[in-house]
Amino acid sequence: MADHSKPEWHLMMPVAAMLLFPVICYKIGWDAIDSSMFIIAIPLVVWPAIAIIGQVWKKTDWWKNHLKEGGIIALAALAVSLCLTIWLIIQFLGEHGNFGAQDSDIASFAWLNFDILAHDGVSWELIGSDKLGFTIGFGIYVDALTLMLLFVAAFLCFLIGWFAIGYMTTDAVNEDRNHRFFAEFLLFSCGMFGMVLADNFLWLFIFWEIMGLCSYLLIGFYWEKPSAVAAAKKAFMTTRVGDVFLMVGLLIIYDLYNSLSFEVIFDPAIIDTVDPERLRLALIMLFIGAVGKSAQFPLHVWLPDAMEGPTPVSALIHAATMVNAGLYLVARMFPFFGASGFEGDFSDVALLITWIGGITAIMAAAIALVANDIKRVLAYSTMSQLAYIFAGLGAACWFANSGHPEFAALAFGAALFHLFNHAMAKGMLFMASGSVIHEMHHAHHQAHGEHGGGDDDHFDAQDMRNMGGLASKMPVTSVAMMLGSMSIIGIPLIGGFWSKEGIIGQAWHAAISQDGGAMLVPALLLLATAGMTGFYMSRMWFMTFAGKPKTDVAEHVGEDTHWIKTPLVTLSLVTAFTGAIFAVLNFPEWLGEGEQLMHGIESHGLAEQVVHVLEHTFLPHESTLLAVGWTAIVISAILGPFLAARIHGGRLAAGEEANPFVGWLVQISGSVGRTNVDEIAKSGFAVALHNRLYIDDLYEWVIARTVVPLGNLLAWFDKSGIDGVIKGIESGSQASSSWIRLMTTGSARDYILMAAVGALCIFALLWGMA
Amino acid sequence: MIPPSWIAGLGAILFCVGLSGAFSRKNAIIVLMAVELMLNAVNLNFVAAAVHHGDLTGWVYTAIAIAIAAAEVAVGLAIFLSLYSQHDTISLDDVTMLKH
Repeated sequence: MADHSKPEWHLMMPVAAMLLFPVICYKIGWDAIDSSMFIIAIPLVVWPAIAIIGQVWKKTDWWKNHLKEGGIIALAALAVSLCLTIWLIIQFLGEHGNFGAQDSDIASFAWLNFDILAHDGVSWELIGSDKLGFTIGFGIYVDALTLMLLFVAAFLCFLIGWFAIGYMTTDAVNEDRNHRFFAEFLLFSCGMFGMVLADNFLWLFIFWEIMGLCSYLLIGFYWEKPSAVAAAKKAFMTTRVGDVFLMVGLLIIYDLYNSLSFEVIFDPAIIDTVDPERLRLALIMLFIGAVGKSAQFPLHVWLPDAMEGPTPVSALIHAATMVNAGLYLVARMFPFFGASGFEGDFSDVALLITWIGGITAIMAAAIALVANDIKRVLAYSTMSQLAYIFAGLGAACWFANSGHPEFAALAFGAALFHLFNHAMAKGMLFMASGSVIHEMHHAHHQAHGEHGGGDDDHFDAQDMRNMGGLASKMPVTSVAMMLGSMSIIGIPLIGGFWSKEGIIGQAWHAAISQDGGAMLVPALLLLATAGMTGFYMSRMWFMTFAGKPKTDVAEHVGEDTHWIKTPLVTLSLVTAFTGAIFAVLNFPEWLGEGEQLMHGIESHGLAEQVVHVLEHTFLPHESTLLAVGWTAIVISAILGPFLAARIHGGRLAAGEEANPFVGWLVQISGSVGRTNVDEIAKSGFAVALHNRLYIDDLYEWVIARTVVPLGNLLAWFDKSGIDGVIKGIESGSQASSSWIRLMTTGSARDYILMAAVGALCIFALLWGMA
Repeated sequence: MIPPSWIAGLGAILFCVGLSGAFSRKNAIIVLMAVELMLNAVNLNFVAAAVHHGDLTGWVYTAIAIAIAAAEVAVGLAIFLSLYSQHDTISLDDVTMLKH
């Protein structure tokens, strides 16, 4: 294996060359929308190439060291997608944040034509799709929501692909199969881009399933580990439950609107012409699909287990992009709630969304309080934060449906802004945790022998109880982890703070407004979760980076490869600053309404806009919102971290010095005193949390008593019923043929007799007929 | 003039005689003779029809059938010869090669 500590920047040359791709497109006269098809097409074409070339030439030196087992090719393809995405955004902003209706659906070509055989009372007639007036084509649909999520997906796919080169190709376990990883990674990217860009629900569903497939394949990447295989199956099956509902929902929508195209369905003249009762059913079905994909209660059980996959997969699919698909779907449902003809019809659906969000938020946060596996903490944190976004979207839908589009836009923008902040922070947190795990693993190998039973013994490189004191040894990772945690916690002015305050504020706003009593419980749950978030994220950081090393492995950790550091630094900067910048730029309002970007600055000037945003955030006019906002800040940014520091913090070992960015935090955690929580940790509730509140066990119990017997029954029916018919035909024909064979005596006289009898029979028949 | 129905009746009787001979006899040559008998019974039917319709076609067919029957007999006898030279028998009870 190559020495991966020396810089290998020259390998990035082919990736840099891809920056020319949009330039070429521009030169031959295409604009960003024309070229946007390549965002999907390039990964789609390249992934099989990686899979095939890698399978054939995986042993060669150039494949391993110059192409990094396909990683460079994948990164180059993702670079094209990222450049085109940025170009698309620039053009979109250049046209004042609105492509206009005629441009939002472009390059649509018919690929699926339905011909219908109809009976007109006299005869059957084939009605072509041209007469029927619809086909299902593939096109690009661009609005603010699309662009936001597309940028998140393309940016994170690129950075995490970069990270994956460092993480995957330096591990002997992955030798000779990384081409599979990168091919599936790229196919996933294709699915994500396609889902975001698709201009109708059918294509959205197809790409949605592609992502589900890649999720399955990548969770089970270590196919020789039974736990990984089981996790892959669990993820696939659980999301399948949601997907079936999603498909039924889409069929209902098709039945109602005779189309699945956004352009047709969301046409203001058409959208509220259908029966609201049936549409409600469809919306609930779609929401169940979203719940499955975004791992919300009660279909959340797959996400923690999905951490069996390689860490870049956890970072990309199970934290930053695919789990956002459900949110995207709910956000796409938003126009139904806002349609004037449906006012008040769907407030129960909006409440359902908010309640599911509230319940999942606090449940996942509670489990994260006691989890010891660093990736599981992040997984539960992901569930909890996604639940925040669901709650925000639910509040937005509720406002929209009760005739308050201005508040709906605020809640909608806050929720999607949180999606953005969370994706950036969580993608980075997972990469940082991957960096920790990677180096723990290497240190373990160096301390306990490079070969042989290294992976078979009981050392767990992901268990935070084996870490501690890494702040001085992994400076870049510790800073990145700190910034990411701050963003998730909502430390004022950093990343997720802006959006989380917005979501909690809007949920409370809904709760205190007229008829909003049912929103009170989710709003309370969200507020409580904020404090728990502050605790569990800080706990993770302190357990990992502060205090003294808890094992000899943790003493020998260091960070080296630039493949891992560069994406971490990039995302650290993004996490630290984009929240504030975008908040000042009125990003949430832009997402909510589509045309407001820069509006504030144009009308106020920069300084005034900053003051306006700060005032709006910290000193809202309504006293309830003021109280809620400051409660959230106090419990999440002060109380939670303070408790975590008292329990898990501590000074580094003697002679170790952390860099100033994180040194202050370690210092504080060492000087806040100690609290012993062993008693609490042994209590029944903590044990229940350790066991994931027994929800997985409950499912197992129920499934073992319902689905498994039903499956056995069906298997029995298949064996004795369906196979019985087939086997009966087989044995019956065998028996009859052996009986017929008896007539073949070989004697010419017998044949003559048979011919005569046969002729006689024919004659008799003819006679009878005559 | 003999009525056509008599001729057809004679044909039917001859056919049954030939058929029973073909079923019951073991000697291949006798079976061949019985087959020829059935063939000529059919020829009689042709003749009867030709008389009935006053049409020459039936007579012509009969002549052709007799000619073909002669050729068949030649072929059949040749088969029996080679059968005898290989198996030392032309008894149909012992010849069951058609099974294979």
